[in-house]
Amino acid sequence: MGANATQGAELSFLRRAVVTSGEALPGHVVLSNEAVLPVLPALRGLLPGLRRGSVVAAGPWSLLCLALAAGASAAGAWCAVVGLPQLGVAAAAGAGLDPDRMLLVADPGAGWPQVVASLLDGCELVLLRPPDRPSAQVRRRIEATVRRFGGVVVVAGEWDGAQTRLSVTQQEWTGIGTGHGRLRARRVQVVADGRGGAAQPRAQWLWLPGPDGSVTAADEARAAHDPFWPEIRSTG
Amino acid sequence: MKPVDGAPRVLVVWCPDWPDQGTEGARAFEQVVAAVEELCPRVEVLFPGACAIGARGPARYFGGEEVLARKIIDAVACRGFSCQAGVADGMFAARLAAQAETPDAALIVAPGGTPVFLAPQPVDTLEDPELADLLPRLGIRTLGEFAALPATEAGNRFGAQGALAHRLARGLDARPLVPRPPSADLSVSMEFDPPARQSEPVVFAAKALAEQMHAGLAAKGLACVRVQAQVTCADGQELTRLWRHDGLLSALAVAERVRWQLAGWPPGGGDAGGGDAGGRSSDEGIGVGGITLLRLVPDQLVRATGRQLGLWGDAVVSDRVARAALRVQAMLGHGSVVRPLLAGGRDPAEQVTPVPFGDAAEPALPSGRPWPGRLPAPAPATVHPVPLPARVIDASGAAVTVTGRALVSAPPARLSADGGPWLAVTSWAGPWPVTERWWRLEDARRRARFQLVADDGSAWLAAVQDGQWRIEASYD
Repeated sequence: MGANATQGAELSFLRRAVVTSGEALPGHVVLSNEAVLPVLPALRGLLPGLRRGSVVAAGPWSLLCLALAAGASAAGAWCAVVGLPQLGVAAAAGAGLDPDRMLLVADPGAGWPQVVASLLDGCELVLLRPPDRPSAQVRRRIEATVRRFGGVVVVAGEWDGAQTRLSVTQQEWTGIGTGHGRLRARRVQVVADGRGGAAQPRAQWLWLPGPDGSVTAADEARAAHDPFWPEIRSTG
Repeated sequence: MKPVDGAPRVLVVWCPDWPDQGTEGARAFEQVVAAVEELCPRVEVLFPGACAIGARGPARYFGGEEVLARKIIDAVACRGFSCQAGVADGMFAARLAAQAETPDAALIVAPGGTPVFLAPQPVDTLEDPELADLLPRLGIRTLGEFAALPATEAGNRFGAQGALAHRLARGLDARPLVPRPPSADLSVSMEFDPPARQSEPVVFAAKALAEQMHAGLAAKGLACVRVQAQVTCADGQELTRLWRHDGLLSALAVAERVRWQLAGWPPGGGDAGGGDAGGRSSDEGIGVGGITLLRLVPDQLVRATGRQLGLWGDAVVSDRVARAALRVQAMLGHGSVVRPLLAGGRDPAEQVTPVPFGDAAEPALPSGRPWPGRLPAPAPATVHPVPLPARVIDASGAAVTVTGRALVSAPPARLSADGGPWLAVTSWAGPWPVTERWWRLEDARRRARFQLVADDGSAWLAAVQDGQWRIEASYD
């Protein structure tokens, strides 16, 4: 085992070296021991990154939770998903999460705080939907565990005392008509607020998801011509 | 043509029309293998429904191949199965001999007579579709005619596969028999008297037991893929867990897994504090009355070849992640922590194969192939493991239906998912008919899919099947 552990450490060192040399990849940020985990470029207007040791509440379960986790996952972090049997993995992959570095615990049962604590030991990111409303004591214990391991918990739901809170305030689908077309993209307004330095609420328009499932920034004003609506011209 | 000296005598037991080739079938066939194993210790399972033994030793022991075949057929019949047997030089001929017989009878091809037996067989018995198609067009219809070709020419003309088939046609074996070793009891166990009430002595014993098990495996040149740790309590409760081993774990690491297993023991009596699962000290977690027995059973034995970790490619699971995942598996069971594997398929739910952490698996449906009718991107963020019942009505309040020609009765106006409130439908697309596996009655499906957008901005993937509406996914 000892030999294996050394080998594993060497391997991860080598991999990191490889990742560093491949820095040119767009949108990929090298994970390091910095104070924040990276977020997708489209979200940087809302929050500069996920501060290690913090809890981020992202409103009821939606693609926004996955978008928050995507930046760190793409940069090499492991992401555990707890209490979400309905997670659409294809959507997660589209948003930028790497399925190879995901652990899914669909049903953590009554002992879910213990499960989350165990997972935080190994994964830098835990996406959690608490099966029940956590008591103040449970909340404090999880917050303490997050700080100890320097991970980040993204909560799909409410979390009193979260450092950052994000929510979708407006949404609009495009590409679909009445009996024709199909869902192509969704323009949403996301608002972030939080405690301390993040107290000032900020809003940002996003394509969540865009036509290929990815998450990108959208213009504030609605375009006169829908960019994802196929243009049909008659000829002849 | 004579077979080369020492071409092994092989006896094949074949159960005609074995129902299932899957795991279930393999498990049921285990009874046949056990019956054969009572007579001859080294059995190779070819596929569910057929197994083979080296016939030379057992035949000499029982006094002839006829007697041996008779005994095996009787033993299998005692278990309630019907089989037929064939004995010949080499596996291929033995299998053909078994399949040529009538139920509960055996065909024995005399030593050296295999080429003669094979000569009149048609070439499609080679089970090589390409050759079966090509050879008759060249005027070669039987194995005898194929065997008459010079071996080098067969290799030149038909490639490696052809050379292999040519060996078979000449009554040689394409590959030697690899018998399954008798399942010697390599498990190790220790009893605790008086019962151990704390986990420490059990974990300590586990380390010694694991060393003993590894020594037993190493002496036979084997490694195990998984190790099963079985803990029995004084009150008869039993907790069994399978741990991935891959021949990589040290004795200490096995002991560590036993410790996790004990720590994850569900609170047995009602006296354990329910609220705080983490604050339980180790001695409270042990089942009522203490532990009386610990047994380690190596599972899925393979030859020990040493292992090399991949340097690039598949995501290397770091020790930290593995430890965290294994700890949760100890708490909730092996299948509770899964890694998603993207697969093919038409439904969002089909496109993911969950693989328990530590297992290697193939996607259930192959990806990288066209799946006509699969949903275009973007994918829904919520995929219901079990579709939710729903109701969709038109402006007059009647349920929306779809005809056999995929025409919708009226535009959907309102939607209620899972008994929830009615939402007005603002835009919709469909119906997109999906007719799957119509050639198999048991899992044929005919549905029409819709995308619906409600006035609150929510978007749904709904399907109507047999007049019933279901929400398969939603674009949350």
